[in-house]
Amino acid sequence: MSEHPPGAGETVPGRRAGPAEFAVPAGLLVLGVVTVWQARGIASGASGAAIGPRVFPYAVGVLLLFCAVVAAIALVRQGGAVAEAGEDVDSQAGTDWPTVGRLAAAFLALVVLVEPLGWPIGAMLLFGGTAWALGARPITRPLVIGAVLGLATHLLFTRFLGLYLPAGPLEVVLGG
Amino acid sequence: MTVVIAFVPKPAGWAALSAGIEEAQRRGEPVHVVNVSRGDQLVDPGYASPEELQELRSRLELSGLGFTLDHHVGEDTAAEAVVEAAHTVDASVIVIGIRHRSATGKFLFGSDAQRILLAAPCPVLAVKAAGDD
Amino acid sequence: MGDLGALMDGFATALQPIYLLYALVGVTLGTAVGVLPGIGPAMTVALLLPLTYTLEPTAAFIMFAGIYYGAMYGGSTTSILLNTPGESASMISALEGNAMAKAGRGAAALATAALGSFVAGTLATAALSLLAPTIAELAVQLGPQDYVALMVLAFLTVSAMLGSSPVRGVAALALGLFIGLIGTDTLTAQQRYTFGISALADGIDVVVVAVGIFAVGETLYVASRMRRGPIPLVPIGGSWMTRQDWRRSWPAWLRGTAIGFPIGTIPAGGADVSTFLSYSAERRLSKHKKDFGHGAIEGVAGPEAANNAAAAGVLVPLLTLGLPTSATAAIIIAAFQSYGIRPGPLLFESEAALVWALIASLYIGNVLLLVLNLPLVGIWVRLLQIPRPYLYAGILTFAALGSYSIGASRIDLILLFLLGLMGWLMRRFGYPVAPAVVGLILGPIAEEQLRRTLQISQGDLTALVSTPFSVTVYVAIVGLLALGLWLQRREAASEAELARQLGTPGGPA
Repeated sequence: MSEHPPGAGETVPGRRAGPAEFAVPAGLLVLGVVTVWQARGIASGASGAAIGPRVFPYAVGVLLLFCAVVAAIALVRQGGAVAEAGEDVDSQAGTDWPTVGRLAAAFLALVVLVEPLGWPIGAMLLFGGTAWALGARPITRPLVIGAVLGLATHLLFTRFLGLYLPAGPLEVVLGG
Repeated sequence: MTVVIAFVPKPAGWAALSAGIEEAQRRGEPVHVVNVSRGDQLVDPGYASPEELQELRSRLELSGLGFTLDHHVGEDTAAEAVVEAAHTVDASVIVIGIRHRSATGKFLFGSDAQRILLAAPCPVLAVKAAGDD
Repeated sequence: MGDLGALMDGFATALQPIYLLYALVGVTLGTAVGVLPGIGPAMTVALLLPLTYTLEPTAAFIMFAGIYYGAMYGGSTTSILLNTPGESASMISALEGNAMAKAGRGAAALATAALGSFVAGTLATAALSLLAPTIAELAVQLGPQDYVALMVLAFLTVSAMLGSSPVRGVAALALGLFIGLIGTDTLTAQQRYTFGISALADGIDVVVVAVGIFAVGETLYVASRMRRGPIPLVPIGGSWMTRQDWRRSWPAWLRGTAIGFPIGTIPAGGADVSTFLSYSAERRLSKHKKDFGHGAIEGVAGPEAANNAAAAGVLVPLLTLGLPTSATAAIIIAAFQSYGIRPGPLLFESEAALVWALIASLYIGNVLLLVLNLPLVGIWVRLLQIPRPYLYAGILTFAALGSYSIGASRIDLILLFLLGLMGWLMRRFGYPVAPAVVGLILGPIAEEQLRRTLQISQGDLTALVSTPFSVTVYVAIVGLLALGLWLQRREAASEAELARQLGTPGGPA
């Protein structure tokens, strides 16, 4: 290891607020506008209630807009915030988009395939794909572990916990 | 020509170190010790700590041999790094420590020793820790 | 009082072999998942919640109690063996515990942590069983306006305490409130924010939100900037606790309990604040001030005890008022709701058997943890050797499994991922995620109480401050916010002081 391991209490130096930092206030702003806009369309209901189903949404919408403005002002005034620390996070690193993209692809594969191929195979692909995206090599190892995990959780959930999971083509082997 | 020692701070690794030093003295060659980690574990017991590294160095110095030490975190697996090193330093022999492993363990995780054996460009000397059979 | 009898009945239930087994499974799973790096108590509880879906309520809550205490316990083992950032609740014990382990006193550090957690957990659970029924009896008289006041209190303190800045906390809370709005309004059956998607008519399941924000969000965050390189594991060595260690530990355990339990019961940031307070108290009172920073056993014993006492303290407002004061507590409320049970003052009457079995299982869980933890340290250590790719692939797989198994709906999976993206952005830009979960759970309850208040008063807003209790709460909010900010400043100051005194801990000596 070239550098000493980071220790507890390590602080990340506060950064100047880059344009990306404004993503959250912007998102809050959009959500706030949508919330208020949509609240107008909520039918107020027949009962003569003193306050109907619209009031709370309006309040939340206004709160979101308020936060968007204050958060943006705070960014301009005080600079960027310290990103959350973690045991497995290198807070100095830049965003690794290829890894995030592969991980998202593995998850999307599960969404698309879980019904036609069943949970055991879907889980194998999700686990294998994610571990591979995060750097496990060779790919056969995470796939084998993923298959074991998928089968074990399938049996645990369907046989012992009585929950439904699709078995896909493996239904012949695993039973309905 | 150089003797390449694949080192891990475990009994089998220390056995490999002793055997490697002996082998190098017999051949009159320097040693190149490899101890790398992929750095993907929070805790990697195969990666030497500063204290273990100190111990390793003092043993090598005691042997009077010329030695180089490769201790870093990289992308390669331990097996790849050892074979790679064997190529770059033109190894005459690779010394590895092996231990007993169950069939399931081998199936799931494979064996670094096996990968080195299959990919090595030179003879491989495999030793066991004392008392492990 | 009939409470003791009720507690005994609770023990009679919880000690049945099958329930003991559930407690054991819960404690073991909670500890194992809690030990894993990157997984805090809230994520542990959210990830394991699906396992209790099909159990009958008593079994589910006994297992859940085990998971809750186990998850709290798990983190401390990790932090003593490793000097890692993260999991702030046990960070202070990481400092002293890790220093002790490095000095070859790891076994004593683990022992004082485990015994301290046991002592504090048991005493605090006893305090809970004494206090909770009384508070519940008083709370029965509270009207809806009083609940509105309490929830405003919870909203404000949770978002002010659990983040780097109040505005970020409130923003996270607002996001949670918005997610809580999605679905059908309970009073008028109007759909809100469903955007014409029928799957949203029942709202987004709490498990999907919690697991999405915590587990998927954390996985994406780690994936985007993964740490490379192992952290040296400190071997567990040295003798067990010596007579001197005992003498220095037990007062620290008791002080930690006395600090942790009350802090846990008020919405002031839960475990984190209590560990820091306990640490600075130990430091001030110790006769061995020089040891601090180099492995003072009081510095492990006190904060560990405070941490676990706070975990029991959190259950007081949770069970008697239905008020969550941490993200973990919010998820526990969601678990109650999934059984159609609403935690609150009536819980001790309507679900007496269940509540007392739950409390009894907390005592049992503490004993099980003590018995399990010390001998099993070797196994927990092995869990730390799981390579990160496999660990996070596993977290993602279990997150997907938990969300999908609720209703076998692919829409839940898509929502899970979208919420994960939200959790990632929040982490990336320094927004705390815990207030979002609290807002999600508490928002709908607060709205209902607010509307009920105004319905009774026929729209007269002064009804909100019409009772002495509600006025007292609003006054207390002001006081608590001031106190909380002061505590936070103390915490920051003591952190800064520590950093200054110790240089950069974790670097090569």
